[in-house]
Amino acid sequence: MKKILIILLLVLLFVGAAFTTGQKEAVAAKEKLAPFITVYEGSGSVEIGGKVAKFIQDKLGVEIRFTSESHGVIHSRIKAEAPNFTGDMALNIGFPLMVEAKQKGWSVSYDSPIWRGAGDVWVDKDGFWWNQGNWAFVLVGNKDLLAKKGYTLPESWDELLDAKWKDQIVMPSPLTSGTAYMMVYSFITLYGFNTGKGEEAGWQYLEALNKNVTQYTRGGNVPSDLVGRGEFMLGITSDEMVMPRIRGGYPLVYTVPKEGIGFGFAGAIILKGTKKLYTCQKVIDFIGSTEFCKFWSELAGYVTKDPSVKPALYGGIPRYIPNIDQGWAVANKDRLLKEWKKRVGRAPR
Amino acid sequence: MNEVAEARITRRSRTLWQSIKDFVAARTISTTGILLFLLLATFLLWPLIAVLIKSIAGSEGFTLQHYKNFLTEPYYYQSLINTLILGILTTTVCISVGFIISYITTRGPRFLRKPLKMLSLLPLIAPPYIFALSLIILLGRNGMITKALNLNWNIYGFSGCVIAQTLAFLPLAYLMIENSISTLNPNLEDSAANLGASEGKILRSIIIPLLTPGILKAALIVFVMAISEFGNVAILSGRTPFLAPDIYTIVTGIEMNFNMGSVLSMFLILPCAIIFVIQNYLIKGKGYTTILGKPVAAEPRRINPAILIPFLLVAILVSGLIFVTFGVVGMGTLTNIVGVDNTFTLNHILDWRSNMALVNSLRVSLLSGCFGAIMGVLLAYVIVRGSFRARTALEGIALAGFTLPGTVFGIGYIFAFNRPPLLLTGTMMILVINCMFRFLAVGMEAGINKLNQLSIEVEEASLNLGASTATTFRRIVLPIVFPAFMYGFMYVFMTSMVSLSAVVFLVSPGQNLASVFIFQWANYGYIGLASATTYKLIAIVGASLAIIQALSRWTGLRPTAAGGGV
Repeated sequence: MKKILIILLLVLLFVGAAFTTGQKEAVAAKEKLAPFITVYEGSGSVEIGGKVAKFIQDKLGVEIRFTSESHGVIHSRIKAEAPNFTGDMALNIGFPLMVEAKQKGWSVSYDSPIWRGAGDVWVDKDGFWWNQGNWAFVLVGNKDLLAKKGYTLPESWDELLDAKWKDQIVMPSPLTSGTAYMMVYSFITLYGFNTGKGEEAGWQYLEALNKNVTQYTRGGNVPSDLVGRGEFMLGITSDEMVMPRIRGGYPLVYTVPKEGIGFGFAGAIILKGTKKLYTCQKVIDFIGSTEFCKFWSELAGYVTKDPSVKPALYGGIPRYIPNIDQGWAVANKDRLLKEWKKRVGRAPR
Repeated sequence: MNEVAEARITRRSRTLWQSIKDFVAARTISTTGILLFLLLATFLLWPLIAVLIKSIAGSEGFTLQHYKNFLTEPYYYQSLINTLILGILTTTVCISVGFIISYITTRGPRFLRKPLKMLSLLPLIAPPYIFALSLIILLGRNGMITKALNLNWNIYGFSGCVIAQTLAFLPLAYLMIENSISTLNPNLEDSAANLGASEGKILRSIIIPLLTPGILKAALIVFVMAISEFGNVAILSGRTPFLAPDIYTIVTGIEMNFNMGSVLSMFLILPCAIIFVIQNYLIKGKGYTTILGKPVAAEPRRINPAILIPFLLVAILVSGLIFVTFGVVGMGTLTNIVGVDNTFTLNHILDWRSNMALVNSLRVSLLSGCFGAIMGVLLAYVIVRGSFRARTALEGIALAGFTLPGTVFGIGYIFAFNRPPLLLTGTMMILVINCMFRFLAVGMEAGINKLNQLSIEVEEASLNLGASTATTFRRIVLPIVFPAFMYGFMYVFMTSMVSLSAVVFLVSPGQNLASVFIFQWANYGYIGLASATTYKLIAIVGASLAIIQALSRWTGLRPTAAGGGV
């Protein structure tokens, strides 16, 4: 009996410990920085999320508790939680979510002094979102595998349709990845609208490409890992992890094909109902600073609002596919995704 | 109180005080029963019903449109077929190999028993998708074996999923089959052997028939796990569709189509429910007991080499594979980018970003372990000692939590608890509740087994001698069910630490769990960090189990399932 009591006591101790280590959250005063905020981070990379969190923490003294997921996953997460968000703000999320959050009243506006006059591309005219940087997708290849086969990295998107790449190309799935959706609307613009043949021609390109694609990944930057590790020869991937992975020792080569690349906005919003509004506003101010733009473009290679900062991946403003209409892309998202599912993702091969 | 007890009490001089006490005693059980029923209904039945409702909910009123969509799209049909084949293949191999290994570890050469057992049980304390990691490192297109043998194959597809799932759930099959095999009395086999029966004959006509209930039970659990724990499948499936990862994509991805996710869930439940019914039908009236006196097999019977050698080969091959898996993931932990840049590094191990998730996991698992075990034992007591009719229903609901796909309970919890009065989404509590209710059946089953061994007359004697219900419970029932409590605790704790399929839908920012964290890292291409965190998780679970073992050795109270159970 004694022994049982001892064990029960120990168990109680355990449980007690489990409870007391729970969050001790002090209510932040209005004009004081909170000790931490909870953030959705859209890079889909714990590495990038972690570095951003650390940078902000070092400079502002606010701990950033974050979760990193793909744009698409963050989007549905926030949609599911509305109107009771568990996070205070979101960083590095896709344009569709920035727009929907404004429309549906999920975000709050703020007139940040540092973002004033940055222009329509960088800040919402009513102050509901801030574009941290234009992110894009590039073509990557595995140096070693290409050399072994005697192939060179294609310089045009057309070359990807060559049968020699069968089952060697990996790209993300637009059902989870915002990058992949960017690829869909960018290729439709490139091969459909820009050639004057209309949307259908764009779909035909995607269908033809599908014949060579071996799998569609969950995250937009996963192809750079799979290609880097030599699982596949070529990948179409979001740009933010290309630089860090090359620095980390992956045998990756990348290129901006001659037709150009697509791009999207990746930005920040403050979620309605946050009890730490002041802290969130300070974070918004901070990510508009040259200091952050420099850090951000070096880390992820994004093109930021600050013209003095040269993005590491491209060395300047990259060649973009002309006439990409971000508004059209957001407005037609559901339809294009349905079409993609039917013609590409779930089409029998 | 049953009728006998009541009759006996009436025969005595019945003071008012005693009848009040009696009344309370009788009511304690039924009130507890009702309370438990309400809890189970809220946290196990309601989420299931919520999924069902979502699957037929239209923009106005109810509709079967979602089901029609499912049945008319070839993609979903393919997904369903793939899932079923995956489940059946995995279960068949797991059960056969599990049986072979448990035969070797209970009847085979003594010196092999312990190491084989340890190796076979090792994966239980690791996240199941550790095998996806090791398969990529070994057999991926740029994997070590692939490169060494210059092979040209694609692990990303059906075969990869089957291999990974089989290795992942083999320990579970082994554990359950070994549990039932160790309750068989070897004397029976020895007599048969002495009378001239061949090894094959003994296996065919004694061991396998006696094990049938245990094997069927194991088959059901392995089947459910294989089709619903989708970590391996999500990482390895490539372009092959399967239901569980599709639910994950549909529910958490851009589409966020809860209706379709629910329909897919219903089709995931369907085969499990069918097997559940068949299994119950087959097991009915087949509860064998061979423990008559103590099993005294001093010297193990010599097994015919024609059977021993192939059995040994299989056992050694499989445990070798498990060993290699852990070794390879260890390599992933200690090299920069395994397979690409094999320089030694401690960076992954010294990366502390997963700390928060590990602490959260430990916290959630300890809480759900304690509460799950307490509730499991209470349920067992109420079911064995209570006299109300809904007892079987109570047991059935608790078992449903255990035998239905975790994926379904994940999304069911989102639907059921995302609005007041039960607004739990986004809290740590929802993770605790989910884990404890899903796995409490294990503690319950163990408790039922224990309590059935204790005659009710001991309790009656205690009551008649003047002890209160509380005292009786404390002095008589508690010591008896304590090992069951510990067993339940260990199981819930261990499974909560490594399981993914339900909690992956329920974690929120700042409250990540280690199993989800590792899955995301592996899925987003950080093999090194995923491997390192896996090892830390294994170390934590292993250390916790060691502490519990040490405690129980010190107190002499061993956690047991008393035969049966899981």
